[in-house]
Amino acid sequence: MILFDHVSKKYGDKPVLNDVSFEIGSGEFVVLIGPSGCGKTTTLKTINRLIEPDGGNVFIEGEDISQMDKVKLRRSIGYVIQQIGLFPNMTVEQNISVVPKLLKYDKARCSKIVHEMLELVNMPYEEYAHKYPYEMSGGQQQRIGVLRALAASPPIVLMDEPFGALDPMTRSILQDEVRRIQRKLNKTIVFVTHDMDEALNMADTIIFMDAGQIIQKATPEEMLENPATDLICNFMGKRVAENEAPQTAEDVMRVSFYATSISRGVRESVDLMARKGVDTLLVKNPDETYAGTVSVKDIKKYGKEYKKIEALVTRENPVCYIDEDAQTSFDMLANGNGNYVVVLNRDETIAGIITRTSIAKALADVVWGDSE
Amino acid sequence: MIRFFELYGKRLLTAVGVHFLYVVVSVTIAFVVAILLGVLLSRVPRWARVILPLLSIFQTIPGIVFVGILFLYNGMVPSTVIIALTIYAIFPILKNTYVGILEVPDEYIEAAKGCGMSPIQTLLQVELPLAMPVIISGLRMSTVYTVSWAVLAAMIGLGGLGELIYAGVSSNNNTLILGGAISAALMAVGFSLLIDLLHKLVLPRSLRRDAL
Repeated sequence: MILFDHVSKKYGDKPVLNDVSFEIGSGEFVVLIGPSGCGKTTTLKTINRLIEPDGGNVFIEGEDISQMDKVKLRRSIGYVIQQIGLFPNMTVEQNISVVPKLLKYDKARCSKIVHEMLELVNMPYEEYAHKYPYEMSGGQQQRIGVLRALAASPPIVLMDEPFGALDPMTRSILQDEVRRIQRKLNKTIVFVTHDMDEALNMADTIIFMDAGQIIQKATPEEMLENPATDLICNFMGKRVAENEAPQTAEDVMRVSFYATSISRGVRESVDLMARKGVDTLLVKNPDETYAGTVSVKDIKKYGKEYKKIEALVTRENPVCYIDEDAQTSFDMLANGNGNYVVVLNRDETIAGIITRTSIAKALADVVWGDSE
Repeated sequence: MIRFFELYGKRLLTAVGVHFLYVVVSVTIAFVVAILLGVLLSRVPRWARVILPLLSIFQTIPGIVFVGILFLYNGMVPSTVIIALTIYAIFPILKNTYVGILEVPDEYIEAAKGCGMSPIQTLLQVELPLAMPVIISGLRMSTVYTVSWAVLAAMIGLGGLGELIYAGVSSNNNTLILGGAISAALMAVGFSLLIDLLHKLVLPRSLRRDAL
């Protein structure tokens, strides 16, 4: 557990951290995000004391880190930087075993760690262990950068925009890999980025900072639903705007439906169903108001006894009004009351229907943005 | 040619031996001193900005003047030559050590600190190894210069290849002059090749010139 207790830092007269307090739980994946100069990297670096705060304290597992030996503290915390920073004079194997060697692990143990680590990212030992950093791609180098941070099994790993210099494809692969490794090894990770997609993709908790202060600390869902300020909205971009107004039935209903008049004959209605490939029809009263529905099942059962559909019309299907929250209709469908919800205008005429497909489409719009 | 070796062979061999010793001893001492000083200066770049230009001015004092002055104080002993050569050999290595360490990109220093290396571990495991190509090229420069400066040893009667050259000049014996000069040139080339070999043996393939 990491605890920031009223931490401040100034460079000259310019405050970079202004009375920052927060808590990070064990095994949590926390992403620090915000515009450049907001203090996110400074916050990160106070955790391994690459930067010493002017005021306040940082505690790890209840222990005040300013009282701990700097060098020992850093050996117990993994650290990954944007420029990767693999030592060019060392092979992959030597780079991974830097911290284990500093901790004076014996050779056999170091070698075992290197094997385990490379296995974690599916890079065969024989192929990669003796390569130098310059002989690998950027993505492979940063994988090794992550492994170097993990090698001595620190409970906490700090990552300072680790994928900032990688191409988008490699970045998304590495994001997934790091997330998988974090869950598997149950690490506490503090991750700095300025990319909201990255934050939403990886974080358990997002801490949004601006001008040296925490503006909002929330889960990705909470932040999407209730961004605290306009600045956060901007960072979220389109994703939030889609969500702002609750959707009404009108937004999600489809207006292509098949209706018939209550005075029509049974045979006629069956023909219409067959032609259109549907198994129910909406039925209108002579004054165009909604009368109910008629289904092919009922017609099969009782149809021979009647000439007109009037007797077969039911109002079993759920109904809602056009300006009601779409959520109500979704709930009715989800509870299994019929296959669709009939949407009515306030004058009781038919406006449209909401089907399960409408729900899927509405959800897709929320997740991927309004594609059409 | 054969007559030359019959006549001067033994003298040449002694001269080459003495010359070689002067170079090896003074460059070795200079290398150790220069690296220590270079590391110290790299810790306080503010001083280095004053000290290095001063040293480079000192470097422009002709060797012959310096050997002469040192001779007055120290007398006609081999240590006079060694001290003079060492002092001259220090500067190229010192400067390259300092520059080499300062040129190590910040990201590696930050990574080293972040991994939990103490300052001395950072120096030994990251800064010096990364500066090594530059340091070795300083060593090459120093060694080649020292081979030629060592000729001055003969000026105060302390042997080396310079002795043949001076003897040749004073007795108008061109063969003797050429014998000394060519040997000195060959020695410089030899040292240079030796340092190339050292470069290959000491540096990992990632730091050799062809990799960078």
